[in-house]
Amino acid sequence: MAARLLFRGALRAATTCRAAPVPALTRGMAAGGIPTDEEQATGMERIIMKAMQEGSDPYSMMKPKEYAGSKADPHLVPSITNKRIVGCVCEEDNTAVVWFWLHQGEPQRCPSCGSHYQLVAHELPH
Amino acid sequence: MAHQAHAYHMVDPSPWPLTGAVAALLVTSGTAIWFHFNSTILMTLGTMLLLLTMYQWWRDIIREGTFQGHHTPPVQKGLRYGMILFITSEVFFFLGFFWAFYHSSLAPTPDLGGCWPPAGITTLDPFEVPLLNTAVLLASGVTVTWAHHSIMEGDRKPAIQSLALTILLGFYFTFLQGLEYFEAPFTIADGVYGSTFFVATGFHGLHVIIGSTFLAVCLLRQIQYHFTSEHHFGFEAAAWYWHFVDVVWLFLYISIYWWGS
Repeated sequence: MAARLLFRGALRAATTCRAAPVPALTRGMAAGGIPTDEEQATGMERIIMKAMQEGSDPYSMMKPKEYAGSKADPHLVPSITNKRIVGCVCEEDNTAVVWFWLHQGEPQRCPSCGSHYQLVAHELPH
Repeated sequence: MAHQAHAYHMVDPSPWPLTGAVAALLVTSGTAIWFHFNSTILMTLGTMLLLLTMYQWWRDIIREGTFQGHHTPPVQKGLRYGMILFITSEVFFFLGFFWAFYHSSLAPTPDLGGCWPPAGITTLDPFEVPLLNTAVLLASGVTVTWAHHSIMEGDRKPAIQSLALTILLGFYFTFLQGLEYFEAPFTIADGVYGSTFFVATGFHGLHVIIGSTFLAVCLLRQIQYHFTSEHHFGFEAAAWYWHFVDVVWLFLYISIYWWGS
């Protein structure tokens, strides 16, 4: 009995159409006559719109991700070149920021609190 | 596309800030020349330059935002802050004139007869044309909200119609105020009553004209498909300004037309 139900469920799962349904034209020029951003956005606005839809943040608009800063989980610092300045606020509410260049290659440690930082390559959509 | 690692807009060099500054200089000094030496040439030249500056500067912003796509989310956020701060500064501008009105009307001096309205002033009936004007502006607030929702819903025809209706109501207000100004039994020279009345309502009327112009530009842009259902900040800025103008009128009506009568 259970095997038959399981089989029927598996059959149903295997045969359901998994393709995303084609969006009905309920918005935009075809529908009401006012374009959508999808139809009309251009330039940098369009690049950023597409990137946000994919979940990427090429222009660093969002807050950087948080890392533990340990050897196993270093702060990952994106850079468009092979080095970037890092400002470490070692403890919350510290007013003295510790600035240093972070170079490509081995992770470096903050000279004050010892947190680990690692440069990672970051691509810009050009 | 520009090779930048940020989402902001570094604008290209532009001559309009300079022409605007020169225009401001010519208008102000030209007005002084007109007052003292009976010549309007400098003031007129300055006004022409000011109008040209406004047209070309805002045309360039439309090109940069709508046609070139420079108005990314952070840029739009900055524009929103800018418009809100500007409207706030206008609130303070009107606050000054309300201060002047209440200063003179709460403690009327002996030369006015110790009363408000001052002796000899026939005030306008607040329940005649001023009440109609209130209804007209409130209705225009409804129609501009209708236009906004139409744009967000992607409905072109109602967006155009409701925006046009808003502008017509604005013109109707200006027309009615013009008639009131013509027919009023007192003038700006009639003591502090005349001064406070015409300066406060006069600047308000100027702002209605400015707001109507802003909305008219939005109507032209909407007809030419500039706005999308998600991104139409120019329209939102015009609508915010229009609501501000409406609110100022409500304060004017309550304070000067009704309480002050």
